[in-house]
Amino acid sequence: MTEVSLRVENLKKTFGKTIAVDDITFEVRRGELFSLLGPSGCGKTTTLRCIAGLEKPDKGRVIIGGRDVTDLPPQKRNVGLVFQEYAVFPHMTVYENIAFGLRIKNLPKDEIHRRVLRMAELLNLEEHLNIRAGKLTLALMQRVALARSIVVEPEVLLLDEPLTLVDAKIKETMRRELRRYQKELGITILHVTHDQLEAMMISDRIGVMCQGKILQIGTPIEIYDKPNSIFVARFIGSPTMNLIEGRLEQWDGKLFLDLDSVRILLYGIPSEKLGGYIGRDVVLGIRPEDIEISTQPMEGSFSGKVSLIESSGNKLEVIVELDSVTLNVLSPLRMDLKVGQLVYLKMRPMKAHIFDKTTEKNIMLKEE
Amino acid sequence: MSMVSKILRVAALAIFMAWLIIPITWTISLSFKPYLEWRAAHFWPKDPTLLNYKILFYYEREITITTGGTALTKPMIPPLINTLIVVGVSTVIAVIIGFFTAYGASRYNSPGPFGLYFTLLTRMVPPATFVTPVLVYYRTIGFIDSHLGLILLYAAATVTYSIWILKGFIDQIPREWEEAAVLEGLSPLRAMVRVTLPLVKSALVVSGLFIFLMNYSEFLFALVLTTMKAVTLPVHLTTYVGAAGALYGAQAACGIIASIPPLIIGYVIQRHLITGLTFGMVRA
Repeated sequence: MTEVSLRVENLKKTFGKTIAVDDITFEVRRGELFSLLGPSGCGKTTTLRCIAGLEKPDKGRVIIGGRDVTDLPPQKRNVGLVFQEYAVFPHMTVYENIAFGLRIKNLPKDEIHRRVLRMAELLNLEEHLNIRAGKLTLALMQRVALARSIVVEPEVLLLDEPLTLVDAKIKETMRRELRRYQKELGITILHVTHDQLEAMMISDRIGVMCQGKILQIGTPIEIYDKPNSIFVARFIGSPTMNLIEGRLEQWDGKLFLDLDSVRILLYGIPSEKLGGYIGRDVVLGIRPEDIEISTQPMEGSFSGKVSLIESSGNKLEVIVELDSVTLNVLSPLRMDLKVGQLVYLKMRPMKAHIFDKTTEKNIMLKEE
Repeated sequence: MSMVSKILRVAALAIFMAWLIIPITWTISLSFKPYLEWRAAHFWPKDPTLLNYKILFYYEREITITTGGTALTKPMIPPLINTLIVVGVSTVIAVIIGFFTAYGASRYNSPGPFGLYFTLLTRMVPPATFVTPVLVYYRTIGFIDSHLGLILLYAAATVTYSIWILKGFIDQIPREWEEAAVLEGLSPLRAMVRVTLPLVKSALVVSGLFIFLMNYSEFLFALVLTTMKAVTLPVHLTTYVGAAGALYGAQAACGIIASIPPLIIGYVIQRHLITGLTFGMVRA
């Protein structure tokens, strides 16, 4: 049985008439890195602030380490928080910053000193200890902020887009470091981000948020492979999943998506789940890497014209125009393609997702 | 072309400097001139004297200024002390109240239908408007010629400045810093003291200096509301008048001595002036 560090129950928060957080419930297990992922304005930061006690929720409970803290002020909740910006106190040195929380707790001097040094060593901050924090680079500031929040050993550490403003290159390293510290120290982290790649890379589990609601919770792989709605499907993964509208048809025991001009053959989809949808309009979702591309016709393939080729060195992103739709295809091969060329496409089996057009839910995930 | 603009720039600076410096140097020169030279146009005193300064420290004594001209003078030390007490205390009060008001307005929604702009009301009306009502009230409650009366009035009249100066600074300080401190275990009040206060130190000093100077030279209310015990320097300055007419030399000397305290204060806090007057850069 896994212990739960943080539990949010039916949390709701409105600002005037806008509903920022709409009745969400989730848990973060001890030692886990949980990411709340969503576009800006979806309520993830508000959720974080409600957990920290900086905002008062309209409804719902926050339970931290088995203790209901909903009515406690922030300083009594035993949570740490690292902000996107302004995370360190600029008028104090790095040492003073890290020692800040420990001094508040009135720990003995040598104990503080020991813990600050240990933390500095762990986060490679030893050489900066006597520098004023306001003079550091953003990346270092974030590291100091992390050290300051970790050193007091909070039950849950809340991270509010801590890497958003850091340069892309440094971000990569920091992402890895963050993951390493988290595992080494066994910290429980609730991390908020709008960067799906970041969330995919460092999280144990992800909660995808949209307009104040959590749409799906799962491991990065689960969310990537089995998005439960069009929103999650589109938000996760880069390049974005292809979404094509068409009518679902069945012929000869084979499933097709009928686009008037083209018929796309769908392989290996258990038709019993689609029972009621045959003959109706649906949305087909297929990831760019799940489309096979070839210059020769294949069995069950359909054709289109290459309209754009983007190479990132290790892979090829090809945009193929069918009559009415454009498909994004990711090819690992260095194919010799030209714009305007005729190519043949085929879906890999089992990889297609079919969404209900009105509810935008993934039909294939219906109660297994 | 650049030569011309350079000359113009230097000339403009020179005019500005002269405009600032001439009155001060003239006052200095006047303070060392004997009676006969007071109205003379030459700059350097022909017969320099220290009498003008001595007059300031004589205790109620009739002195001979010139042949046949005498004056009964009072010493400037008590008014100087009055001024320092009244202005010092009122400045501290104005800055403290200003800080808390500005903090509240910056961090929480400002109260009332007028919000913080209401405080500007005291500066929108000519001060003379208030003279009569204040005089009447003060007479009734016995605040005439008292330090407390002037202190309260000065603090009330200048608190607006500290509110608006400090609000600008506090607005620049991200809330996140205080929130981070609260999450580390401080109460909101202690977070303000530990985090925000040190960051606006320069602003406190600068608004304090500004208010100090404003109150230090206040004349109108001091004239109306004081008689003997609480007379301040600007009012005292006007008492250097004798049978021979206004004692320009003594007034000049008094002015010179009066300008020493602000000079010392300015020197002591010059480190803060740069950050304070450039309005911020608190992010270092």
